[in-house]
Formats: sequence, structure tokens, C-alpha cells
Amino acid sequence: MTDRGFLLLCAGEVLVVAAGDIMVALILQVIVLAAYLGDRRGYWAFIPAAALFAAVLAVSGHVLLPLLGLAAALGCGYAALTLQDYRLTLWAGDDA
Amino acid sequence: MIRPTRTTGGIAALALALAVVALPLANPAAALAAGSLALFLFWRAWRFERDLFAAATSLAVNRDVDRTILRQGAAATVRVRVDLVTPPGMEIRVRDIPPAVASGGAPLSLPGKAAAYTIRLMAPGETAFGGVVLLASDAFFTRDLACRRPNAPHLRVFPVGTTENGRGTGAGMGDAEVDRRAALAGQGIRGFRPYRSGDDPGQIDWKVSARRDTYYIRQLTGLEGGTPLIAVDLPPRAGDDPATFARFSMAVCGAVEGAITSRDGCSLLVVAGGEVVRFLPRTLDIREALAALGGLAPLEPRAPLYRAPGPAVLAARAARAPGAGAGREERAYRERLGDLLAAFAAQSPAPFAAAVRAALGRAEASEVRLYSLLPIGDRSHLVQIVHEAKVRGMRVVLRAPAGSPALPGVDVVEVL
Repeated sequence: MTDRGFLLLCAGEVLVVAAGDIMVALILQVIVLAAYLGDRRGYWAFIPAAALFAAVLAVSGHVLLPLLGLAAALGCGYAALTLQDYRLTLWAGDDA
Repeated sequence: MIRPTRTTGGIAALALALAVVALPLANPAAALAAGSLALFLFWRAWRFERDLFAAATSLAVNRDVDRTILRQGAAATVRVRVDLVTPPGMEIRVRDIPPAVASGGAPLSLPGKAAAYTIRLMAPGETAFGGVVLLASDAFFTRDLACRRPNAPHLRVFPVGTTENGRGTGAGMGDAEVDRRAALAGQGIRGFRPYRSGDDPGQIDWKVSARRDTYYIRQLTGLEGGTPLIAVDLPPRAGDDPATFARFSMAVCGAVEGAITSRDGCSLLVVAGGEVVRFLPRTLDIREALAALGGLAPLEPRAPLYRAPGPAVLAARAARAPGAGAGREERAYRERLGDLLAAFAAQSPAPFAAAVRAALGRAEASEVRLYSLLPIGDRSHLVQIVHEAKVRGMRVVLRAPAGSPALPGVDVVEVL
């Protein structure tokens, strides 16, 4: 990705924050990230997760708690990803 | 583990900044932007792992070695081609892993492209390749994955000086490599030169003579006398090209190996500028010689000679100076100049020239093979080596890259 692409992503995020309404922000976010990506293979897997997070934000009426919950979920996801990577390493016969 | 790229770091920093904005302002849109960016990165990491697994499972390695049974220290050429399915958006490069006891590294190559490299196996026994390393990257993550399974073919390395006993199952009637000197060692042919009056007619090579339509004489290696001295001039570190230096190292190793196997040993002199780095006199042990060459790298000269010609050159100039002038004044001037040069030649403290002179004396060689990349800059150390060799009546063969400038006093220049 080029620096120009990253600057456009930052500009898109400013647009998302300025939208105010959470539904509009979600739609804008999906469009901005899709525009940022060159290869959108498997992008469908990201959209429901983002929509679920937006729903939690809208229902809870808070900002901190959903963010903490997301951080915890991503921590678990990172642990799962590490385990998957370890299995790949074992499969390849790597000692590292 | 996968490593984030600069782009991923930027997006993570952006998500963090958005979260910092969202918390005091209680802005759900900013929180959504921060959270969705974090989710986006996690999704990319998951996709990268899945793509890498798909690429690794499709891996096929075709490795070919020119000989699988070889002697310790001998060079083997490896040709390897790796085929795999590269997922869209991912870039994969491949590097072969040589056996653990091998010196020499494999180059990076693209899948589907053949790569060739040379290794030297430095320890006896059975060994195998270490597999291949996949260097995968996309816009967000990178990962080096070592796949150890494709390690064929297995190599058998025999120690120098031992005889293969043909072990294995079967009737014991198979061929085996025998390391044994014949009672009469044959003389190899170093080259050919035109016939001169007085040459032995028995040495005329009739095939070459018929081809060239004039008589040619075989020059035998056994008639050269003495062992060669291989002098290696390490290039300075500044501006070095790794590929060129790798070719240079291979040429030097090949020359040492060839000299030891075809003759009765060789001497090795490694210099860097006006400094003798290593000297190995008259060795027959290829392991010792290769160990002396091991770990050589471009070296910044620590004792520059500042273009000093050295005592041998000064003495030669002093001998040439007097007597050649036309008039009386010029003759007097030349005599005075000769005296000055002779005084400098006698009293000049030239430790490098003295060290080279001592090395040449211990080597007892009749030929100096000088390997140099001839980089731009001070070449006075090479001039001093050449002139010290010429003082002893040695033949000097310079091996340098094509297009290199000539050095005075060199008999033959060969292209590296």
C-alpha cells in the first residue's frame, strides 16, 4: 500500500467520524475499507463482524464497554491465530 | 509468527487515535471506526495465515545436485526449482536451505524459476538439505516459513584421504570411488605454445598442430617446478558488491582446490591493502586451505601504503636511471637520481614488502597467481607484490575482472 492510499484511508475515517449516525458510519466504513483494499477476496467475513460491533455500540449506548469487549475478543482471536500459526509451523517441520 | 508491515502499524496507530478521540467525546462513530479497523487487521491476519497454509500445502521442490557422492571440501552445484500456488495479493519468494555442514548460501528465487548455486561440504558423513524457506508477504503481514520436508537428495561426503569401502547391502560387487595415488603420477597438460627450435619433438601435439596448421608443443604442469603461490587481494568494504565478491571467493576456492588436487600443494597469501591478513605456506591439506579462506570478507585496509612503490620498484628505477642520458648534465642528474633511489630502496622501512618477500621465500613458488577485483584506489600493494615476485624470477598471473587496468610487471592477465 502506498502512503497516498493510507492518507486517503485517514481522510475516509474522518468522514466516518463526522457522519455522527452509527448506521451511516457503518456503511461509510465498509465502503472506505473496500476502496482501500486492492484484493477484496473474503471481505464478506469482515462485514458481519463490523455490523455486530456497530449493533452493540448502538444498543449499549456506551463507548468504553463495547471497546473493552472488542479488545478482549480480539485478544482471544490473537491467541487462536497464534495457535494456528504454531500448528502451521509444526506441519512444515520448522524448529522455530 | 507473522510480522506486521509498515501499513499495518499505520492502521493500528490510526485505530488507537480514533479510540482515544472516542472515549472523552463519547462518540460512537469514532468508536465504530476504531473497532472496525482493529477487526479489519484481525481479518487480514487470519486471511494471511490461510493463504500461507494453502501455498505451503501446494509446495513442490525439484532439487538436482550434479553429484551426490563427493569428497569433503569439494564443490557441488545445486539446481533447485520450487513450484507452488501463490494466492492473489500475496508475494512469495523462496530460498533453498543447504545442508548444515555446507558452506555457501542459496539465492532468493521466485516460484517456478530455477535457481543455481554452489556449495562445499565441509564435514564427512551423510547429510541432506534443510528444505526451503518461503518468504511470504502481502500488504499487511510478512512471514518466513521453513518447510523442512523437501530435503532430497541425500549426499554422502567422504573425508579427504580415506577410501570408500562400498558399504551397503548387496553382493559387494558394485563400483566404488577409490582414493589412491598411482605409482606413477601422470603429468597434466597446462597448455600449448608454438613450437620453437630446440624443443623436444616428442612434445608436439599433433591434433592441435593440425588444427592450427603450425606445430604446437604441450606444456606439462610437471615441468613448471615448485608449487604456485595463490595471492588474494581482499577488496575494501566501501562499495563492495556481494555478488561479485561471491564470484571472486568461488574463483579463489576453486583455484586452491585445483592447485592442491592437481599438484603437490600450494601456498596461500591473503592481503588487504598494505597488510598481510593470512599466509599459509606449502599446504597439501585442502581443509586447512579452505579454512584459511573461510570467513573472508571485504576489509577496509588498516595500513594503507599511500601509493608507495616499494623497495623493489625503487631499486629497479635506480638501476635504470644512470647512463641513459645524452648530455653530460643529464647523465649527472640521472646518476644523482639513481643514488637517491638506491638510498631510499635500501633504507625505506617497508614492512609490507618485507613480509611479502619473506612469504615468497617460504613459499618457494615459481608462479604467483594474483586474484584481485582491482577496485579503484591505491594499488601500490599489488605493485609491490608483483615486483617482489619478479625480483625472485617468478611468473605472475593476474586474475581480475574484465576491463580492469593493467598492472606493471604482470606476465599474464586472465579474466575472473
